[in-house]
Amino acid sequence: MADHNPDGDPTPRTLLRRVLDTADPRTPRRPRSARAGAQRALLETASSRRLSGQTKTIAKGRSRGARSIGRSAHVQARGHLEEQTPRTLLKNILLTAPESSILMPESVVKPVPAPQVVQPSRRESSRGSLELQLPELEPSTTLAPGLLAPGRRKQRLRLSMFQQGVDQGLPLSQEPQGNADASSLTSSLNLTFATPLQPQSVQRPGLARRPPARRAVDVGAFLRDLRDTSLAPPNIVLEDTQPFSQPTVGSPNVYHSLPCTPHTGAEDAEQAAGRRTQSSGPGLQNNSPGKPAQFLAGEAEEVDAFALGFLSTSSGVSGEDEVEPLHNGVEEAEKKMKEEGVSVSEMEATGAQGPSRAEEPEGHTQVTEAEGSQGTAEAEGPGASSGDEDASSRAASPELASSTPESLQARRHHQFPEPAPPPGAAVCPPRSRTTGPRPRQDPHKAGLSHYVKLFSFFAKMPMERKALEMVEKCLDKYFQHLCDDLEVFAAHAGRKTVKPEDLELLMRRQGLVTDQVSLHVLVERHLPLEYRQLLIPCAYSGNSVFPAQ
Amino acid sequence: MALSTIVSQKKQIKRKAPRGFLKRVFKRQKPQLRLEKSGDLLVHLNCLLFVHRLAEESRTNACESKCRVINKEHVLAAAKVS
Repeated sequence: MADHNPDGDPTPRTLLRRVLDTADPRTPRRPRSARAGAQRALLETASSRRLSGQTKTIAKGRSRGARSIGRSAHVQARGHLEEQTPRTLLKNILLTAPESSILMPESVVKPVPAPQVVQPSRRESSRGSLELQLPELEPSTTLAPGLLAPGRRKQRLRLSMFQQGVDQGLPLSQEPQGNADASSLTSSLNLTFATPLQPQSVQRPGLARRPPARRAVDVGAFLRDLRDTSLAPPNIVLEDTQPFSQPTVGSPNVYHSLPCTPHTGAEDAEQAAGRRTQSSGPGLQNNSPGKPAQFLAGEAEEVDAFALGFLSTSSGVSGEDEVEPLHNGVEEAEKKMKEEGVSVSEMEATGAQGPSRAEEPEGHTQVTEAEGSQGTAEAEGPGASSGDEDASSRAASPELASSTPESLQARRHHQFPEPAPPPGAAVCPPRSRTTGPRPRQDPHKAGLSHYVKLFSFFAKMPMERKALEMVEKCLDKYFQHLCDDLEVFAAHAGRKTVKPEDLELLMRRQGLVTDQVSLHVLVERHLPLEYRQLLIPCAYSGNSVFPAQ
Repeated sequence: MALSTIVSQKKQIKRKAPRGFLKRVFKRQKPQLRLEKSGDLLVHLNCLLFVHRLAEESRTNACESKCRVINKEHVLAAAKVS
C-alpha cells in the first residue's frame, strides 16, 4: 500500500487509516481484502508497542475472533450503510473487543458521538501512552481524509501543548489564573476535534483553589448584633421566671456583684468596651435595657443590699468611664428598687426619663439621682429582699409567693417594654401591662397544664378550678424541690451533670423505688414504649445494646 | 356555683412528656447544672408518680369528707402531708 503518511513509523493506526483512505466504499470485496490485509499488517507490525501490548494482553483466540467478527461486521456495515461505516466499525469493534485494563478509556469513549470526538481523545490517550486497542479503530473514524491529514498535525501540536498546559495547570492554579486558562483554553479551543472531557478540568478555574476573599470583620457591628440577638430573648425568659425567679440569669451577675470593686470594675470596663463599639446612642439604649434586665432579674432574687453596693460602686466608677450604659443600668436598678417599695408612677417617670437621656451631662444628674434614690430605696430594699430572698421561704407560703411574684412580674414586665420603645414613646401609660404577662406565662403554664390534666385524670373525680390552681402551685414547689435535690445529689457525686443515677437515688429516697420495685419496673409501668426504649438498655441485633451502658 | 367551677373530666390523655418544658424549667432553676439526655424522661416519670400520688391522696380526702367534688382544701391537705 502506498504510504501517504508523512511520519515514519508505521503505526497500526496509520496503516488502517491508509487503508480506509484508499478503500472504496462501494466495492465490498476490495475493502474486505484490503482490510484483512491491513489487519494482517496490523498484526505483523510488532514495532508498535501498543500493538504488541494488545496482542499480549488480549487472548489470542478472542482477539482474533473479535477481529474477524469485526472484519465481517465491517464488511456488512460497508455493504449496507455507507454513511455510518466508520461508526458501525467502531461500534462493532468496541462491542466485540475484549474488556481489559487498557480498554478503560475505550469504555469512556462512546461510538455514538461524532467520530471526530472519539478520535482526538484516542489520540490524546495514545499520546498519554495508554495502551489501547483503539489505534486500529482510529482510522475507521475518519470522515474526510483531507480534513484529517492537516488537522492531525495541528492536533498533535495542540495535544502536546495541552499536555503541557495540564501539567502546568496545577501549579499555575495558585498563581493568577488568567494566563494558564488562556493558554489552555486557546490550545484546547483550537482543536478542531476538541474533546469535551479532558480539557474541561483545565478550563474550569473554579476547581483550583483560590484564597478566599476575606472581609475585615466589623467588630462593632458584630458585638452589636450579638447583644441585640442575645438580649432579646432573655427579656422574655426573665419574665417567665418571675414567679419563682431564682438566681437564673441574675446569679452570674450576682457573682459579679458580690466581690468588690475590681470585679465590678472589670465588668464595667467590659461593658464600656462593648458599648463603645456601638456608634449611636439609640443603639445603646436598645442594648442597655437588655443588660440592665439581667441586673434586674438578679437583684430581684438576691440580697438587694449587695446589689445596692454594686450599683453605688458602679455608678462611682461609671463617672469616669462611659457613663451612659451604666447610667441606664443604674436607672433600671433604681427603677426596680422603687417598684418594689414605692409607687409605680415614680418608676414610670424615671423609666420614661431614662431612655430619653442619651447624653453624658444628663447622665451625671442621673447618677446623683440614682444615688439619692438608692438611699431612699435602701430602707425598703432589705425589707423587700428579705421577703424574696429565699425560694424555699417563698415556697412555704404559696399564696404569698404567687401574689408577690405576680405583682412583681406585672411591674417588671410593665417596665421592660418601656425602655425598649424609642424615646419618643417614653411617657407611655401602662398600656403594655395587658399584653405583657401573657406571653411570659403561657409557655410555663402550658407545660404545667399537662400535669394538671394528668392530675384530674388520676383523680377520677370532678374538681374545682381552684383546686387545679392549687395543684399548679404544688407542682411549682415540687419542681423547685426536685431541682434542689438533684443538685445536691450531683454535687455529692462530684458532678455537674445530673445523671439518671441521681434520679434513681431521688426516687429511692421518695420510696418509689425499693428493693422489690426497681426503677425499670416503674419505667415499664408508667411510661410509653418509646421512652422505655430510650431508658432501659436492651440488646439489639448485631450484638449492640441501646442505650449504651 | 360549685357546678360552674367544676372542670370536666377528660377520658383520653396524652402520654407524651413535655421534654422541652422540663428541660427549660431545670435550666431556669439551676443554670449551672446540666441534665443528661434521658434524664428529663426520668424527671417526667417522677412527676407522673408525684401527681399520681397527689391525686390519689386528694381523692381519698374528698371521699372522706364525703364531697363529690375535689376541693382546694383536699388538695392542700394532701400536699402538706406528702
